[in-house]
Amino acid sequence: MSKDFQAHEIRDEIKIHYKYTMGGQSKFFIELKNNKKIFGMKCKKCGKVWMPPRINCSDCYEDTDWVELKQAGEIMTSTIVWFSTSEFIKDIPYGIAFIKLDNADTSLLQGVFAQNLVPSKIKKGQRVKAVFKKKREGKMTDFFFVPADEHDAWIKKPEYEAGSE
Amino acid sequence: MKKVAIIGVGITPFKARYLDKTYFELAYDATKLAISDANKNGAQITHKDLKSTVYGIYNELFERQFMPDIFINSYIGMNDKPGTRIASGGATGGYTVRMAYAEVASGLSDLCLCLGVEKCNDCYDEQTGTTTPEVLNAIAYSADMTYEYPMGMMAASSYVSLVNAHRDEYGSPTEEQMALVSVKNHGNAMLNPIAQSPMKITVEDVMNSRIICYPFKMLDCCLYSEAAACLILASEKKVKELRVEKPIWITGVGAANTDCFIGNREKIGRLYSNVNAAKIAYKMAGLDYDKIKDSIDVAELHDAFTGQEVISYEELGFVPYGEGGKWIESGGPMLKGELPCCPSGGLIGCGHAVGATGIMSTGEAALQLRGDAGRHQVAIEKGRAISHSIGGPGAAYAAVIVMENEEALKR
Repeated sequence: MSKDFQAHEIRDEIKIHYKYTMGGQSKFFIELKNNKKIFGMKCKKCGKVWMPPRINCSDCYEDTDWVELKQAGEIMTSTIVWFSTSEFIKDIPYGIAFIKLDNADTSLLQGVFAQNLVPSKIKKGQRVKAVFKKKREGKMTDFFFVPADEHDAWIKKPEYEAGSE
Repeated sequence: MKKVAIIGVGITPFKARYLDKTYFELAYDATKLAISDANKNGAQITHKDLKSTVYGIYNELFERQFMPDIFINSYIGMNDKPGTRIASGGATGGYTVRMAYAEVASGLSDLCLCLGVEKCNDCYDEQTGTTTPEVLNAIAYSADMTYEYPMGMMAASSYVSLVNAHRDEYGSPTEEQMALVSVKNHGNAMLNPIAQSPMKITVEDVMNSRIICYPFKMLDCCLYSEAAACLILASEKKVKELRVEKPIWITGVGAANTDCFIGNREKIGRLYSNVNAAKIAYKMAGLDYDKIKDSIDVAELHDAFTGQEVISYEELGFVPYGEGGKWIESGGPMLKGELPCCPSGGLIGCGHAVGATGIMSTGEAALQLRGDAGRHQVAIEKGRAISHSIGGPGAAYAAVIVMENEEALKR
């Protein structure tokens, strides 16, 4: 860049609004919001339980049926995020984990929290249980997971409650 | 299929920010450099001789333009010729080389421009008054928007999940083993004039750098970069007609996508896309996966994060599963090791200008095979090299390219 070069920078943004349909997965979000339930989908042919749900089995090319899942499971892998995107930097530090619910065959990415959020509290094999927000919108952020032995303490907080199984 | 050679390489410096260039101006610079390199390599061509272009551009939000390729097409004087854009996350560069190869191998084009560019740091986060959080947000829109983005998933947290799972299963890589990759690649970059992050650092420096996503620290992560990289690919007939002195033949091209939902994979700690792409590329080149380490002189790997480079040693067949960490401790991938990995500095040393990155690493490997790599030149005995690109949620995309010089093909 030559010494006398002067850059001209402008402020700009790209903004699009959506009214996005969850399509065949709609029931999953409606059940979260209205009934505090977690639903997966089970292949009519091979019996695989997909979580996140899929209305079609990508292995068998068959349809799947809705099946209610347990709200307890096990951490498969996790991390604690200490630096993040412009959208989430206000939330650091936060935990995320891939969680296999007890009667699902695949793992779901979800937020995971602990009263003392350190790697040993959310490591592989840790048993976790779902906590629901009282104000729900039918989005993934309606629920999160905590270590099973902390569940009672979390659902006593005014903004949270237990799911219904 | 027809034989395809790389006859020219052009790589602009990788920088944190070009205030004096737009993405299409950078693309022009790389194109001009590649034409000039082809002409030094014996050809006599101008941009008017090029028959087609394949563009590698990852992210529309970076470029603030949803069809950036057509504006580059105008700026580099390629009107009235075919131009196709490839976008495959971090693996955009490798996939772009694959598709440019296909243009020439099929006979659709006999002189094809393979051009990657990215300019991320025009993104700006008003809250912090810095670019990085907004760049990361522009990338995070590549995660699944329904189930993953709302959880605060981003590139580092996605890759670190794989690395943590790999360490749980295989015991490698440890944090110190990961740090060795950072020491190696920042150090190699000191010999590469185009690199953004040349640094002489120690394992302790890496261990003491700020935490990003447990256990990745600042110096375990590549920096996002602005750059363009360009290759000129030619058919065998064109190589002869142009009297190219040192053509580098692309003899293997492999790509594979694994499930973008990490939780759907059989084992979370594996990079299935890498092993599958590598096996396809090696087979096409007639190479044995189990003996690959002894069949090549150099590997330019996609080291977006240190721990993931270590896993790549295993998935690409250099060492058995679980031994990647020990291999770097023993010096295997070092500049003077048994198989130098990322002599250019890779992404950690050079920076990651996404669409340009895999084209830069393929170009770097080609320059190594020509003996034209400069101060980071490694010994070339077998005449064979690979480049490796990965990207997408949980490294769902991968591409591997095998290249050979004329001497290797004569053997």
